[in-house]
Amino acid sequence: MSNETMTNYDKLAAQLDAVKHDVKQSLGQRDADYIRRVIFAQRLCEWCGRILIMLGFIQPLLWAIGVLSLAVAKILDNMEIGHNVMHGQYDWMNDKHINSRRYEWDIACDGSSWNRVHNYEHHTYTNIIGKDRDFGYGLLRLSNDFRWRVKNLWQFATYIVLSVLFQWGVSYHEMAAERVFFGKKKENRKNTMTHNELKRRFFSKGARQLVKDYVLFPLLAGPLFLWVLAGNLIANLLRNLWTSTIIFCGHFTGDVQTFKQEDCENETQGQWYYRQALGSSNLEGGNLFHVLTGHLSFQIEHHLFPDIPAKRYRDIAPKVRAIFKEHNIHYNTGSFARQYASVVKRILRFSLP
Amino acid sequence: MSSILTTLSNTFFHHASWKGYWEPVIQRFVPAWRDGFYRAQVIDVSMLNSNTAALTLLPNKRWPVHIGGQHIGLTLEINGRLITRVFTIASDPMTFKQTGTIRLITRIKRDGLLTPRIPALEKKQWVNISAPQGTFILPHHNRSMVMIAGGSGITPFIAMLKTLPPDNALPITLYYFAKENEHILHDELASIARTLPSFTYHLLTRARHGDVEHYLTQHPNADWLVCGPAPLYRQVIDLAAIAHSDVHSEHFGATPTLTSHTDKATFELLYNDRTLQVDSEQTLLTQLQAQNIPVSYGCGIGICHQCQCVKKRGVVKDTRTGALSDSAEQLIQLCVSQPMSDLELEI
Repeated sequence: MSNETMTNYDKLAAQLDAVKHDVKQSLGQRDADYIRRVIFAQRLCEWCGRILIMLGFIQPLLWAIGVLSLAVAKILDNMEIGHNVMHGQYDWMNDKHINSRRYEWDIACDGSSWNRVHNYEHHTYTNIIGKDRDFGYGLLRLSNDFRWRVKNLWQFATYIVLSVLFQWGVSYHEMAAERVFFGKKKENRKNTMTHNELKRRFFSKGARQLVKDYVLFPLLAGPLFLWVLAGNLIANLLRNLWTSTIIFCGHFTGDVQTFKQEDCENETQGQWYYRQALGSSNLEGGNLFHVLTGHLSFQIEHHLFPDIPAKRYRDIAPKVRAIFKEHNIHYNTGSFARQYASVVKRILRFSLP
Repeated sequence: MSSILTTLSNTFFHHASWKGYWEPVIQRFVPAWRDGFYRAQVIDVSMLNSNTAALTLLPNKRWPVHIGGQHIGLTLEINGRLITRVFTIASDPMTFKQTGTIRLITRIKRDGLLTPRIPALEKKQWVNISAPQGTFILPHHNRSMVMIAGGSGITPFIAMLKTLPPDNALPITLYYFAKENEHILHDELASIARTLPSFTYHLLTRARHGDVEHYLTQHPNADWLVCGPAPLYRQVIDLAAIAHSDVHSEHFGATPTLTSHTDKATFELLYNDRTLQVDSEQTLLTQLQAQNIPVSYGCGIGICHQCQCVKKRGVVKDTRTGALSDSAEQLIQLCVSQPMSDLELEI
């Protein structure tokens, strides 16, 4: 580890393992009921939204409510349902639709390609420069580990563009596109899916999402084609901005640390926990806020225990915080405004050498 | 229409079926409504003896009627988990046509996951069942029949016997082995024997009446039907080869051969119609890779769920906790699962 403190890693691991064990033991009906309730709310928002958007000709306000409702539906689907179900948080339910193998989200990015890079590379090698491709997404310079280049001067604009097109950024990034399309080689990386399969999935999923939101539903609306097209476009945009903002707050706030590959060789479980703790940051807020972030507002807890049902992060956060305090580990949390300001500062700071 | 909806939900709503997409919504109004399952309402639960329960169910209208001897999967949501076990239907199709109900009879396994819940089921509660399955039905060979039942293995024979017309001429003999005082459904057997003159039955215990061999040697060139525990089943199979009899049997995945946690054992792994040898010492992922089986995988330590697959039957041990799985269908992660019995996987 880069930070040679006096941390007792074995004790840390034992304490965090115990927290995890307690939650796993208590998983049950209320967790199953909760995720089904969220899916119910998602379906309600999505279809009310899609219908209200078509009723915009009666009263434009209905259209606006519809757009918001559809945006919320997409956010719920991507964050609280998709992200968490695909992490395997609900696999214990043995439900053939609500599990990490079958679930597919309402976003341009193909679920299994995402699973491959995100669940494995990002969650195993969090913030290890050269291994975690999510650190800056290969577009932004967010620490001195990267050499400064001229393009970093305007990286704030790059960040805005990435946020606006976030679902496409994720789709492109999470398939490790530079390897698939441009043949960049990565050592020690076995391919569990062929490049052709990844390409097929990339285009297939993307095309289907485009057809759904910009052809199928607009056509169903007949003369209101453009109203629906515009509504769907804005709903997708709102979702993109929201998810991008939340995710940046989870890993790129000012205090988040990075790690070198050589520091993480032969890492113990305790050291792994320690790295997850320093590589993530939380957001404070109300319950509805937490649900809309898919509980990524508890990014620290999520990175420590990626396959615990996310709503439980709320319950265990105080315990995790107490354990961190005991070991003098910084528990990086703050209000949304504070954390986001810190992200913006970081992007701007590292745009200069 | 349904194929259009399936295509739509596949293509644009990313669900294997339209019903699956709407399932959490419909469930709020129709309890236990589940894509791919039939619903059934609990009519009655009663105890036949201290460890055997009879469950009467009213399946919903679309449930296809069974043939005597067939079984169904019963699925309960137990503390958020969907658990399925297979049970023979212990009632005949005529009863279903008349009353709309079917009856399941099960021995309650004290440390089981599902059967201990059956006595606690409430009347009018909704559960899920599968369509009737199985080929263990009355043979039409025009020769005499011998039925060999062990314990709760009596149930399919009750269903079969009740479908026979009173003028059935072919002799049928039932040997019913159970522990002392644990023969169930004796009154029903007696009533069948009264209306069906060609039928005789014997209630036997191994301790007092000896082995099944003694009885079977009296019935060469007959159809032998056996349903019961694995040792009984194996013995009957062996005897049939000598006696030139045809054997029809039902045995649900003979109890897993659990080894102690330290012993090394070799098991058969059946997946995608291939059979492989695996041992209990290494994880399934390691062993599949060693045998050059293409499987997708990721972290290798149970975090990323990429190597997850459906275990159709068999027991595995979770290498992280040492916990044993149950033997029914469930999702497992190859990288943290060691085989503890013969397995069937869907990769």
